[in-house]
Amino acid sequence: MSWETVIGLETHVQLSTKTKLFSRASTAFGASPNTNVNLIDCGLPGVLPSVNKEAFYKAIRFGMAIDAQINQVSIFDRKNYFYADLPKGYQITQMDLPIVLGGSINIVSGETTKTINITRAHLEEDAGKSIHDEYDGYSAIDLNRAGTPLLEIVSEPEISSAKEAVAYMKAMHQLVTYLDVSDGNMAQGSLRCDANVSIRKKGDKDLGTRTEIKNINSFKFIEKAINFEIKRQIKILEKGETVTQETRLYDSSKDETRSMRSKEFANDYRYFPEPDLLPVVISDEEIKRIKDEFPELPSEKEMRYQQDFKISAYDAQIIASSKSMADFFEAAAEQTGNYNLLANWLIGEISAYLNKELIEINESKLSIANVAILINRIDDQTISGKIGKAIFEEMCISGISPDEIIESQGLKQISDDGAIEEIINSVINDNPAQVEAYRGGKDKLFGFFVGQVMKLTQGKANPKTVNAILNEKLK
Amino acid sequence: MDQETVRTICYLARLEIDQKKSEKIQKDLETIVDLIGGLQNIDTSAIEPLYSPLEMTASIHEDIENSDNQKEKFLKNAPESNDDYFFVPRVVE
Amino acid sequence: MNIQFKSIIELREMLDNKSISITELTQESFLLAKKYDELNCFVTMNEEVGQKKADAADSNNKNSSMLFGIPLAQKDLFCTENLRTTCSSKILSNFIPPYTATAVKKLEDAGSITIGKTNMDEFAMGSSNETSFFGNVHNPWKKGYVPGGSSGGSAAAVAAGIVPAATGTDTGGSIRQPAAHCGITGLKPTYGRVSRWGMIAFASSLDQAGPLARTAEDCAILLNSMSGYDSKDTTSLNSDVPDFLANINQPIDGLKIGIIKEFNLSDLDSEVQARFEESKKTYEKLGAKFIEVSLPNISASVPTYYSIAPAECSSNLSRFDGVRFGHRAKNTTDLNDLYIKSRSEGFGDEVKRRILIGTYALSAGYYDAYYKKAQQVRRLIKNDFDQVFQSVDVLMTPTSPNTAFEFGSKGTQNPVELYLEDLFTISSNLAGLPAISIPHGQVNSLPVGLQLIGNFLKEDQLLNTAHLFQKNSDFHLAQPSLEDFS
Repeated sequence: MSWETVIGLETHVQLSTKTKLFSRASTAFGASPNTNVNLIDCGLPGVLPSVNKEAFYKAIRFGMAIDAQINQVSIFDRKNYFYADLPKGYQITQMDLPIVLGGSINIVSGETTKTINITRAHLEEDAGKSIHDEYDGYSAIDLNRAGTPLLEIVSEPEISSAKEAVAYMKAMHQLVTYLDVSDGNMAQGSLRCDANVSIRKKGDKDLGTRTEIKNINSFKFIEKAINFEIKRQIKILEKGETVTQETRLYDSSKDETRSMRSKEFANDYRYFPEPDLLPVVISDEEIKRIKDEFPELPSEKEMRYQQDFKISAYDAQIIASSKSMADFFEAAAEQTGNYNLLANWLIGEISAYLNKELIEINESKLSIANVAILINRIDDQTISGKIGKAIFEEMCISGISPDEIIESQGLKQISDDGAIEEIINSVINDNPAQVEAYRGGKDKLFGFFVGQVMKLTQGKANPKTVNAILNEKLK
Repeated sequence: MDQETVRTICYLARLEIDQKKSEKIQKDLETIVDLIGGLQNIDTSAIEPLYSPLEMTASIHEDIENSDNQKEKFLKNAPESNDDYFFVPRVVE
Repeated sequence: MNIQFKSIIELREMLDNKSISITELTQESFLLAKKYDELNCFVTMNEEVGQKKADAADSNNKNSSMLFGIPLAQKDLFCTENLRTTCSSKILSNFIPPYTATAVKKLEDAGSITIGKTNMDEFAMGSSNETSFFGNVHNPWKKGYVPGGSSGGSAAAVAAGIVPAATGTDTGGSIRQPAAHCGITGLKPTYGRVSRWGMIAFASSLDQAGPLARTAEDCAILLNSMSGYDSKDTTSLNSDVPDFLANINQPIDGLKIGIIKEFNLSDLDSEVQARFEESKKTYEKLGAKFIEVSLPNISASVPTYYSIAPAECSSNLSRFDGVRFGHRAKNTTDLNDLYIKSRSEGFGDEVKRRILIGTYALSAGYYDAYYKKAQQVRRLIKNDFDQVFQSVDVLMTPTSPNTAFEFGSKGTQNPVELYLEDLFTISSNLAGLPAISIPHGQVNSLPVGLQLIGNFLKEDQLLNTAHLFQKNSDFHLAQPSLEDFS
C-alpha cells in the first residue's frame, strides 16, 4: 500500500513588541518570575484590556509580505476555557475576523520550490507558564509571558513531508525576522508550531483523520515529531485500524509522540465578541505608512548587493538569507572598501564559527568595527590572510580589536623588500643542498624555502614579496 | 434542558450543584431558557447584532512600557504562593 | 451639628461657613453608619484612612471642588486600593485590591472622603439585595423590606442620611430601581460616560457607574467628577463633559416628553398609576408636552437582557478560579477539582444560575439562537429609541412596576418573577442611554420612583428635567423615621 502524508501547520510567532498585546507590561524574556506582570496580565477583578498599536502594525506587515488580504476592521473574541496559567479564564483572540486572510509563502525543500497557501493569521495573547516539576505536589505559575502578543499563522494542509514542514518553518523564520515582526528565537519560544498530521491512501481525495502535535519549538523536533507521527499512523492504518483524532505531545527525550490526557467533555470554547474591546480600525493612511516603511526582503537585498557591492550572486544570496548577517554585512561595508573580502570572510570563517557555536552573529563577540578592521588590515597587507585567521580566533574569544592584537603580538606583516631579502639570503646560505636540488629541477622545494622564511618571520613576511624575491634569487 | 445538558454546562462553567438543589436549579434554568426562547418569534433576518451600545472604534496605544513590578502585592492576594510563584495542585500533562 | 439627610450642597455651605469641620462631618457620618448598623448598608468601613484624610483636609484646605471634604460611600464592586472589595460574595470576601477604580479615584481626587463600601446583590446580580453573602439590606422606610438592588446598600445609606451620596452601578436598573425603592435620586449615565476601569464586571456591554444622591443637583456634582475619557477603558467615551450643574436650572418650557405606548400602565397598581398621572401634571405645569410614542420591540427587553447579561457574566466571572486571589476550597484533588469546589463554594445560587444560563447561551449549537439572536434584537430596540428621539426629548416611565417588597416574597419559587421587575429599566442599558430615577411620592408609606430616559449623552437634559421637578415638589425631601433601626 502506498501512503501520502498531509500536514497543516499552525505557527505561533511571538511579536517583538516592547509591551504586551493588551497591557503595557514588558515582554522582555528571562525576567524573574511574575515581575513582568501588571494588573491586566494578572487578570484582577475590574481590569480592562487596551490594544498595542505596534502588534497590529507587525501583523499587517506580515500580511503584506505574504500578499494577503488585510482586514482593516479587526474584532477580538473571547475563547473561554480554564487553565492555571490562563489568568482570566478566557484568551482574547480573533475568531471571525482575523487581521490577515489568505496569502502564501514559498518554501525550498531540496531542489524544489513549492508554494504553501496561508489560510489566515490572527492576533492573540499568549498564556503564562506552568512549571510542573519543581515543587512537590504543586505546579508553579509564572505570568510573565501572559498577554505577550502572538500571531497565529494557519497554513492550508498542503505540506507533504516532515522535510517540507521544516522548510516551511525555515521560510517562516526568515520572513518574520526579516520583517522585524519577531526575533524568531525558537529556544525562547518566539517561534513554535502545532502540526496537524494525517495519512491517506495515495490518490484519495478525502483527508484522513488527523492528530495535532502541540507546541514544537525546534526545526529538529519538527522533523522528528512529524516523522514519528507519520510512521505511527501508517502502522495503525496498515493493521486496518483507525487513527483517533486527538492532541499529542512530542517527547524529545524518547523521540515519540504521546496522547494528552483526554478530557471528560469535549472542549466548547464558547467564542463571543470581546465586549471590553470595540473594533480596532486601521486607517488607509496607516496602511500606506506601513507599506512605505516596508523593510527590504531577502530577494531585494540579493539584487542590491550584486549591484552596489559587486559581490557574486552566490555570496549575495547567502548573506541576504539571514537578516542578522545582512545587517552586519551592510554595516561593516560602510567601514571597509573590500566588499568581496568581507563577503568571503562572512561566508567562510565567520559562518563556520557561528555554525559551530550555534549562535547568530549579533550574539557573538564579533563587532562590526572589529571585523571591518580585520578586513582592512588584510586588504592593506598589514597582515596576511593566515595571520588574519589567527587574529580572528582571538577576536571570537576576547572581542579585542585586531589592531590591538597585531600591536601587542607584533604581528605586523613584513613587506619591506630589504628586510625580506636579508632573511632569504640567510635561508639560501643555510641550505645549500636544497638550493642545489631545486636548481637541479626539484620545483617542489620552492615551498620549503617559503616555509623557512615564514618560520623565521613567524609568518609575518608578505607572501607575495617572499615569492618574488625567492624566485629571483633561486634562478 | 435535560440533565445531561445541565451536567455539561456545569462542567464548562466549573460549577457543581448541590444534589438537594439540582432539581430546583434545573427547573429554574428551564424557566429562564423559556423566557429567552421567546426571542425566536422576532424576525431578525438581515439585522446585524449590536455587541456594544457604542458603535465606535477602539483607540489603540503606543508600544511604550508603563508598568511597575507589583509581584509582592499580587502574590499576597494568592491563596497559595511562595516568593515567586502562584501555586496550584500539580498538573500532569 | 446634625448632618443627617443633608444634601451635598447643604453640607458644602456648612463647611464653607465653618459651622462644621471636615473632621467633624466625617466623624458624624461614621457615627450615623454605626447607629444604623442594623440596616446592613455597609460591608466594610474605611474609618481609619477616611478619618485621617478628613483631618489632613482640614489643615490643608485648598481644594475648591464641591466635593471637598464630603463623605461618600462606594458600592463594593469598585476596587479600592488597600480597602477590602468583596462584590458581596464569599469568593472575594478577603480580597484587598492593589488599585482603585477610576470613578472612585476621581471622586477622591476631588476631595471626597470614602467612608465605606456598601452592600449589594452578589456581583450586582439581583434587584432586591437578597443575594448578598453579607446578608439582606433593609429598606430604611420599612424594616424587613428590600431596598431594591443591586446597589441596595448605597441607596439605603443615602436614604438613611448617613452619607449625602454614594456610587452605584447599573447593568439593568441597579442604580435606578433601588433609588426608587428608597426614595432618592439615582442616575445611570450613558454607556461609556464613566470609566469602567476597576469596576468589577458583571456584563461588560451593559455596566455603567453612576451616582445615587438626595437630589438631581447632587447627582450632577458627582457626575461632574466621575465622567470623562479614561485611556484604561477603551469603551469610555472621548466626548466633552459639560458642567452638569451649570445648566440644571434651565426652563423646560416646550420640552417634549414621550410616554411609551407598549408599557401598559393600566396594568400597574392604581396608586402607582395615580402618582404617574400626578407627575405628568407637574411637568405640564412647567410647560412640557406629552406625546405617546411606540417602541415596538421594547417588550423584548427582558428576554434580550437575560440572554446577553448572563452570557457576558459567565465569561467575566471565569477569573474567579481560586488561583490568584479570592476563595480557594480546601482538600482538593487536582486543578479541576479546585476550580469546581472553589467556585461552587464561593458563588451564591443566583450567580451560579446566571453563569449557567450564560454558559448555555454561548455554547455550541445555542449561540446563534440565544446570544446572537439577543444581540440582533438589541439592535432593533436601539433602533426604536433612535426613532423616537427624533420626535421627543425625554421618555417618562415608572422606574419599577411596584414598590419595595418584603424579604423573600418574590423570585424564590420562580426567578423570572423577579426579572420582570426590571421591565422599565433594562432597555436603556441595552441601548446605552442615560436614565434617571427621582422620587415622586409614596404608596403605602413606601417610595415610588419616576424614570426619565434621555438620548445619548443627554445627561444634562435629564438632570435639568429632574431638577425642575424637584424644585416644584418636595417628594425628594421626605425622610424615613428609622425608628426601628436605632
